[in-house]
Formats: sequence, C-alpha cells, structure tokens
Amino acid sequence: MAKGEILAGYLAPHPPHLVYGENPPQNEPKSEGGWEPLRWAYEHARESLDRLKPDVLLVHSPHWITQLGHHFLGVEKLSGKSVDPIFPNLFRYTFALDVDVELAEACCERARARGLVAKMMRNPKFRVDYGTITTLHMIRPQWDIPVVGISANNSPYYLTTEEGLEEMDLLGKATREAIEETGRRAALLASNTLSHFHFQEEPPLPEDMSREHPFSHEGYRWDMRIIELLRQGRTDEVFDILPQFIEEAFAEVKSGAFTWMFAAMGYPKLPGKLHGYGTVIGTGNAVMEWNLAEAGMTRAEAAA
Amino acid sequence: MTLAAAFLVPGSPLPYLRKDNPPWLGLAAGYEKAARSLAAARPDVVLLYSTQWMAVLDQLWQERPRLQGLHVDENWYEFGELPFDLSIDGELARACIESANALGLASKGVDYDAFPVDTGTIVASNSLDPEGTRQFVLAANNLYHDFETTRRIATIAGEAASAQGKRFAVVGVGGLSGTIFREEIDIADDRIASDEDDSWNRRMLGILEKGETREVDRLCAEYVQAAKVDMGFKHLAWLQGATGGRYYGARIHAYGPTYGAGAAVVEFKI
Repeated sequence: MAKGEILAGYLAPHPPHLVYGENPPQNEPKSEGGWEPLRWAYEHARESLDRLKPDVLLVHSPHWITQLGHHFLGVEKLSGKSVDPIFPNLFRYTFALDVDVELAEACCERARARGLVAKMMRNPKFRVDYGTITTLHMIRPQWDIPVVGISANNSPYYLTTEEGLEEMDLLGKATREAIEETGRRAALLASNTLSHFHFQEEPPLPEDMSREHPFSHEGYRWDMRIIELLRQGRTDEVFDILPQFIEEAFAEVKSGAFTWMFAAMGYPKLPGKLHGYGTVIGTGNAVMEWNLAEAGMTRAEAAA
Repeated sequence: MTLAAAFLVPGSPLPYLRKDNPPWLGLAAGYEKAARSLAAARPDVVLLYSTQWMAVLDQLWQERPRLQGLHVDENWYEFGELPFDLSIDGELARACIESANALGLASKGVDYDAFPVDTGTIVASNSLDPEGTRQFVLAANNLYHDFETTRRIATIAGEAASAQGKRFAVVGVGGLSGTIFREEIDIADDRIASDEDDSWNRRMLGILEKGETREVDRLCAEYVQAAKVDMGFKHLAWLQGATGGRYYGARIHAYGPTYGAGAAVVEFKI
C-alpha cells in the first residue's frame, strides 16, 4: 500500500446561515440569499477540493462536544435530519454520509498510542452534529466522499488553553500517522470561526445583510492580523499569539480544530490562500486553504 | 400562585441508562422518590429548565405540541438510547414568551419537527413522569444569561402559570460539581472527582436542606467557582425564580457521582 498523504487543509467554518443562504434542496427553510461573499469563497474551495480528488474528508467540529476524550464516528453510514438547536429556523437539513471507519479506527488507535483518551462512536442512531454537516455541505455538497468525523474534546475549556491545545497537537499528529499508514489521500477540514463574539438577537429577516457586520472593531482587527500572518505563511507567529487571540477575540479556534489541522499538516510555513472573509451574526469567518499537493509538500515530515 | 412541587435533578444519562451500576443506584432510586412526589402533587404543568438545552440567541421556549423521538447522547452513546414523548403546554409557553418580550428579555418559541431535545430534558421528564401524563413548559439555557437573568425568566414563567390558574411544578435540571474524570474508569468505581468537590456539594446541599436561603445566596458564587458547578448553577436560579423563593427546606433524595461530577435529586419543601 502506498503511503498516505494529506493533500490540503481548509479552514472551513460552519455557520448554518451559509447553507440557509444557499437554499440547497436538503434544507427545509428557504431564504432570499445572504452572506454571499462567504458562500462564493466556499465555491472556490469546492473547486479546489474537486481538483484534488481526495479519498476522504476529515472534519473536526466544535459542536460535537465530548467530555471524556476525543471521539470518532465509527458507523459506516449515518443519516437523518439535522436541526440546529441554536438556529432551528435556518437549518433543518436532511443528510446521509459514508464514514471511512478503517481510517477512523486508525486515528483512534494512533491517538491512544500518543496517550490521549480516544473512543469510537458505534451507535448507528447517533445524531451527527450540525457543525460537521454544515462544513461538509459547504465544501462538498455532493456528499460523495467518505468522512471521518472527530469530536471536540472540551479539554481547552477544562484545562488551560495551552494545555488543551497541546492535546489537539497530539491528535493532529496521530491523525497524520493514521492517514499515512492507511494509504489515504486526505483533505482536512477545521470547522472553526475566528473571532466569536456575536449579536444575541436575530434580525426579523435573518438574511438582511444591512444588519450584518463585525461584532466589534477589536475582533475584526484580530481576524485581519491572524489572516495576514496566515497569508504570509508565518505559521510560527500565529501559534505564538494563538492563546492571546483566543482570549481577546473569544476565538472559536480554542475548540481545537485549527490546531489539530496544522499539527497534522506539520505546521507548514506555506502561505494560506484566502478564499474569502465575512461575518455571520457578527462573528469572523475565513475560508482558507493550504494546498500541500500544489506546493509539493505532501511528503513533508510532521513537526516533531 | 399555585406551586405544587419543586425539584433539582441531574441531567446526566448515566444513572438513567445504567440503573444497576452500584454508584448510581442511589440517584436512580432518588429519581423514583421524586417521581412519586410529583405524581402526588398533581401539577397541571411542569416548568422545566435544562442546562443542556443551550441557546445563544434569545430565550428559547419549546412550542411544539408533542415531541417524540429517540436521542443518543453525544458522550455516553454506548449505554443506549433515550426515547422521549413529551407534551407541551403551548398556551403557557406563548404566555411566557409574550411576558418575557414585554419585559425586554428577547424570547421566541421553537416548533420544528426533529428538533434536538437535549439529554437532560429527556432524562428528567422520563424519570419524573414515567407514564408520560404531564404537560411541560421547556425553557432553554441561554449561555449568555447570568444567574439573575435566569431567575427573572423563571419568575416570568411562574407568574404566567399562576395567571392561567394552573398548578405547576418546577424542575431545574443540572449537575453539582462539574469535574468529570478525564481518564476512563470502571463505572463500578465511580466517585466524586475530589474530596474538595464532595465537601462543597455536601455543604450546599446541607444549606438547601435547612432552607437557609440567604446562606445559599451568599455562598452560591463561591461554590460555583470552587466546584466548577454545572452552568453556574443556573438551574437553581430557575427554581428560585419560578417558585418565587417560597420554600423552607428540602429533602435530599439522593446524592452521588456521575463519572466524577456531582449530582443530586432534591425535592423542595413548599
């Protein structure tokens, strides 16, 4: 079996508003549109992913919150109707997905080998979280690529931010090892928003874009600082200031997906491609891509 | 106001799904005692707040007349499924929404097929009302609401029930000390994660039992901080608000661990 490789990583946030704005047939509520710059950004990411033709999409979602360790979807087929508990008026989505159980098991085993608590979710009646589903729809609405779904252990909230992110670093490295040993050509999806302060009341028409803007100047400034560093490939600096970003911008990257993805990719100093930025109820969202295949970096050694 | 009964109960599915596990026997038995008390109280409606129904926009209230389905807990899926069949008092829910909005607490109802009812609501309603005969008003835990805001919202709910001439029970669903074990344990060996947490839980339960309401208020913030109490103990705020603080003590039907976290079944004397 050929050694597997990570083709690309995407920062792929999950506001259900983007699905709502797009009006796909799977989603019950219908809109007049909205959040177009972010949806157009996802169109570019979709085209890029399509060219890569990965075997599998791995997604780490902050809305599958687990208390005891890091969990992996472990049932071959999962389907149902996902209703967002926060925005049920916007997201009631009928889905069906295939899970790459072999890779999920390998990730789980590798995580355990690195000292993490890791579990396989084997209950076929399990309700997949809306963060996972939204990110997957936005990046690949055809649902024709198998998935590995990974929970967000609440360690960054229970431990210090630094301790929690250290766990995510180990999880990322374990993920890379599992991808390599199973021979998969994989794309990683970090389902995270950047600055995460948001409005607490919804406009009467949710897609009224005259009401959409950054929640705060400070949050916007932080997002631009992080994005600019990422665009320049200054990865080390991003991770140096990540705890401060999390603290001051209430950044959702605290939940770990961003760190998991970069650890899996070996923290490449590769300029990230910004497909677009926009706010959703005031939160900052960037769709970004690190195309390791294009850069000839799929064989790069993971950071120690 | 016709207050019929009031309870604080845990939302963890563990004692519900594995009633046979020795460390959880007490909590399961405590829930049975509370269920008998609720049945004897014959409320027209149960005002239930679960810390696990999380909201971030507005105060959400369940409006769907009947909620049926099967839920699998996102953490403890290996222990089985949680079926549910809940009847909602929509008239009262709408009154709560109207009153809350009138007082500047942005509220709205939810009425959607397949809405993800949370584990805590299911565990509490199934345990306290095993025959499924009661009507419920379900309120979400808005993560940005503090203890006092939650108490105000609960007050609105209690007053709305009274205005409709209904006998009502109040249920706050949530845990005590919030630290769970971060390594897998043999569930037969479950215990409170630390002596300090255990001590804090017992202290708080002791003053609730004695009805020392001022002492509860005085210690609450410190307890929340020291024992990482589930969601800032806002389920107690719900109980305080909806009852109007009209209780003079409590019976602790059970106290025990749920994978290291503290949990108790408490019936208030009204």
